Amino acid sequence: MLEAISAMSSVMLDPYLLGLIFMTTIIGIIIGVLPGLGATTGAALLLPFTLTMTPVNAIAVLATLYVSATFAGSITAILINTPGTSAAAATTFDGFPLAQRGQAGRALGVAVVSSTIGGIFSVIILCLAAPMLARVAYEFRPPEYFALTIFGLSMLASVGAGGAVKNLIGGVFGVWLATIGAERVTSIERFMFGNYELYEGLSFVPVMIGLFAISELLVQSKNAHLVADMVTLKAVKLPTREDYKRIWKTIARSSGIGTFIGILPAEGATVASMIGYSEARRWSKNREEFGKGSVEGIAGAEAANNAATGGAMVPTMVLGIPGSGTTAIILVGLMVHGLRPGPYLFTEQVDTVYQIFGAMLVANIIFLGMGLYAAKLFARISLIPTAILWPIVFALSVIGAYSLAASLLDVWIALIFGVVGFFARRHGFSVAPIAVGLILGHMVEVNLQNSLKMFDGAWWMILAQPLALLFLVLSFLGLFGSQIVSMITKQGKSSDAKQDVN
Amino acid sequence: MRPFIVPGLLAVFSVVIIYLALQLKLSPPMIVGHSMQPRSFPIFLMVINLILIGILVWQVKQNPPDPIKLEGVTTWVSISMFAAFYLLTTYADFFIAIAVVMFVLCYSWGERRIHVAGLVSVVTPLSLFLLFDEVLKIRFPRGLITNWYYG
Repeated sequence: MLEAISAMSSVMLDPYLLGLIFMTTIIGIIIGVLPGLGATTGAALLLPFTLTMTPVNAIAVLATLYVSATFAGSITAILINTPGTSAAAATTFDGFPLAQRGQAGRALGVAVVSSTIGGIFSVIILCLAAPMLARVAYEFRPPEYFALTIFGLSMLASVGAGGAVKNLIGGVFGVWLATIGAERVTSIERFMFGNYELYEGLSFVPVMIGLFAISELLVQSKNAHLVADMVTLKAVKLPTREDYKRIWKTIARSSGIGTFIGILPAEGATVASMIGYSEARRWSKNREEFGKGSVEGIAGAEAANNAATGGAMVPTMVLGIPGSGTTAIILVGLMVHGLRPGPYLFTEQVDTVYQIFGAMLVANIIFLGMGLYAAKLFARISLIPTAILWPIVFALSVIGAYSLAASLLDVWIALIFGVVGFFARRHGFSVAPIAVGLILGHMVEVNLQNSLKMFDGAWWMILAQPLALLFLVLSFLGLFGSQIVSMITKQGKSSDAKQDVN
Repeated sequence: MRPFIVPGLLAVFSVVIIYLALQLKLSPPMIVGHSMQPRSFPIFLMVINLILIGILVWQVKQNPPDPIKLEGVTTWVSISMFAAFYLLTTYADFFIAIAVVMFVLCYSWGERRIHVAGLVSVVTPLSLFLLFDEVLKIRFPRGLITNWYYG
């Protein structure tokens, strides 16, 4: 524990890292307030710039961006009724009505404080839960890892905007993408079509840039001529004692909800904020105010979405299973810098891990200050014309894709996946499952191969491992649980109806 | 019929992948042992995909989705600029390609002030080029301008 505290506090003593976190917080807030450019797109664009940094600095930058962009979505949600990130969608329900009543400063103050508390709470839970989970994960062998990745993939059913089946199709497609290149054991080339640059498989970075940044560019091309109206804001106000009395329970509840939902593989800040908001409404004594400018509504959504960021880092770092699109990119960042995500990270790179956690903690504190004193300025940035912003995103994307391996093939891959991602989204498929599938694909295949070797080809022996069986049962329930419940309910209703007739 | 085009295309894709996987060489048992052949995993995935596509078709039949509107000119211009970007990079220069595509994107997305669009499309790639070349030490691919710059 002392080791952890000293590693975390070393972040405060490293002026270079502190400066980096400060700069990234600004970049994160700018990215967060620009509608369409969320944390995921921002992380995809920023990833190439981190390649020359040390692993700690690189991951600290990505984690800081994740935290600050998630918070910043609320600024535009409150001031222009346009959530900068999908995670801030629930904030518009009460944030904008309160701003329209001339209390934009109060709304932003509640959002900033709630986000900070939610974020800090989740980092504390991350520090406590991650090593404990890592201790459990030490015992994992290939069957358990295989079952765990299947669990992670099954959770894709609920990630993103598409329906469950479409998300799973996307996930399977992503896993297939991971099979491109030379097979690990036999070196037999698969789906390379004679292109030896693909021998080691598709690079994650250009695929991520394509799926998240370039596809978003094409999606935004439909909104090219939209102009946002901004509510006037004088100054951000800290919540009053009266406000605190009303929101403290909501913040505490939403921090817990957000952290828990973040920990679940493939569930992210958007789901957390929606549940945080609805729970705030359910438990509130002033339900009639919801939708008209309730501070509890803002606090419920904001504490939950920022708490989810720390939660989502738990499966990412401990198990190598990303909890969202952004954590998928952070995971890629870990791999690119030679860090092996998983329980061994907590013994081999313990300082690195806690420095990253420390950076997230510092980022939460920095955005508290920035949110309070510079929200007005950041809100103005959201009014940058899309006709200027998105061509810049295009340049960042192609140069970023190229810079990873100084290969033009990576640029073409980014552009192809941008178009594929765009058409997928147009037809109701979310791109996050493709990205998560690509990252988990290698893990699934390798652990299945190793499990089969362990049991001399007897695949059913995987089911004989208690922990593996537990994960597979959870996967099954995750996929079919709601259908089973609705079938049982239907049967119950029809038998009741028959009894009534008799 | 239109709602079934996407599931149909996905099914064709899955079948093509299964066919391609079946063309992969078999590895000798002494290497693979009791594990899988390299072709098995992709085939397994595509079979799952075909099952999921079957469910998707059933869902579409039950609740036909709203027809999707065709994209506007701006989107098609943006996509076609990607093709132009490929050609310009291959036959001219990466830097020039970025600048040209940025300019066209700026203009087609509604920026009618030529000098602003021009400035953005020159300053952005130039500053990124300098950042990558001077700070991050990553060289741009060779082309008309970069040949002149690198000598």
